[in-house]
Amino acid sequence: MKKKIFTRFTAILFLIGLMTAIQYNTINEPDRRDTRDVWEVRQELSREKKLHSQLLSEIGTLDETLDKYNTAADESPEQALRETAGELRNAVGLTETTGPGFEVLVEPSMEAVALGLEIEGISPDLLIRLVNEINRYDALYVSIDGKRIINTTSIRDINGQTSVNAKPVETPPFSIKIISQSIDDSEKLYNHLLASRILDDFYIDNMSLTVSVPQSDMVIEAYDGTIDTKYLQAIEGE
Amino acid sequence: MWLSILGLLLGISLGLLTDMQIPPEYANYLSIAVLASLDTLFGGIRAHLQQVYDDKVFVSGFFFNIALAAGLAFLGVHLGVDLYLAAIFAFGVRLFQNIAVIRRIILAKWAEKKEVRETI
Repeated sequence: MKKKIFTRFTAILFLIGLMTAIQYNTINEPDRRDTRDVWEVRQELSREKKLHSQLLSEIGTLDETLDKYNTAADESPEQALRETAGELRNAVGLTETTGPGFEVLVEPSMEAVALGLEIEGISPDLLIRLVNEINRYDALYVSIDGKRIINTTSIRDINGQTSVNAKPVETPPFSIKIISQSIDDSEKLYNHLLASRILDDFYIDNMSLTVSVPQSDMVIEAYDGTIDTKYLQAIEGE
Repeated sequence: MWLSILGLLLGISLGLLTDMQIPPEYANYLSIAVLASLDTLFGGIRAHLQQVYDDKVFVSGFFFNIALAAGLAFLGVHLGVDLYLAAIFAFGVRLFQNIAVIRRIILAKWAEKKEVRETI
């Protein structure tokens, strides 16, 4: 008799366990719905397309390099290698670069000067915002107060001073130099900056941005530090 | 007793491993069904401890309670009244009562045993 009771209990408990587990599954894993609207999907699509074209152009340049290697292999391989190294140094930011671009002067705003307010340094947040804004419109090379922005550049507060590449940025006025791919891109960025809300953000901090007209031969300084490649590793295989 | 716990573990692992799911609309019904079965289970344990356990009552109660609760919830959905709350309330109250009775019985048994041991 007792055994029978336990068999019943086992069966019921099995059912309870099963139902609880199913309930748990149902509550905890709802179907992930795509809640994006058409506009967001379009944006995603355009992002992917941009990436696609970027990858294609990268493939193009790499193919070009490969061709160059092939043709130069017989004549002088050293020359080809040196050229590539030069290009890479240029891309990383180790050389002085000339190209179409313009200068942005960060100054204390006129009101601040007139009221005799103390001029404070620019905050890292604002500077990062400005750099992001600049990068959004395809700037190639940027330097802030003579400090070249490279891939590993940090913009942060060090002992109360805003620093770029661990070197302090002067209190305004200082200049930001920007080089773009072409003079057209420069114009675009120039117009964008003139109409950007970032001007208001600077104004709140008692600063003003003066954007100079794009010119074709802007010179940007080289990165003067050493690039730490301690944590870089070669990719295995092809 | 261990057999029963094994059954519970088996059910839970089967449910989790097979990753079974029901449409979210029916999650309400399943939660009520779980509550009803828990109620029946504790009712059964209580009856067993009080020596009034009846196999037929237990098994029929299990299925009938689940069906009634799910039916009530279904009716509630169609009438626009949250009738499933009635089922949850009834089962919840009974669950607590049953567990309280079980606790009392176990405590009484324990005290009895202790007394017997002390008299020896």
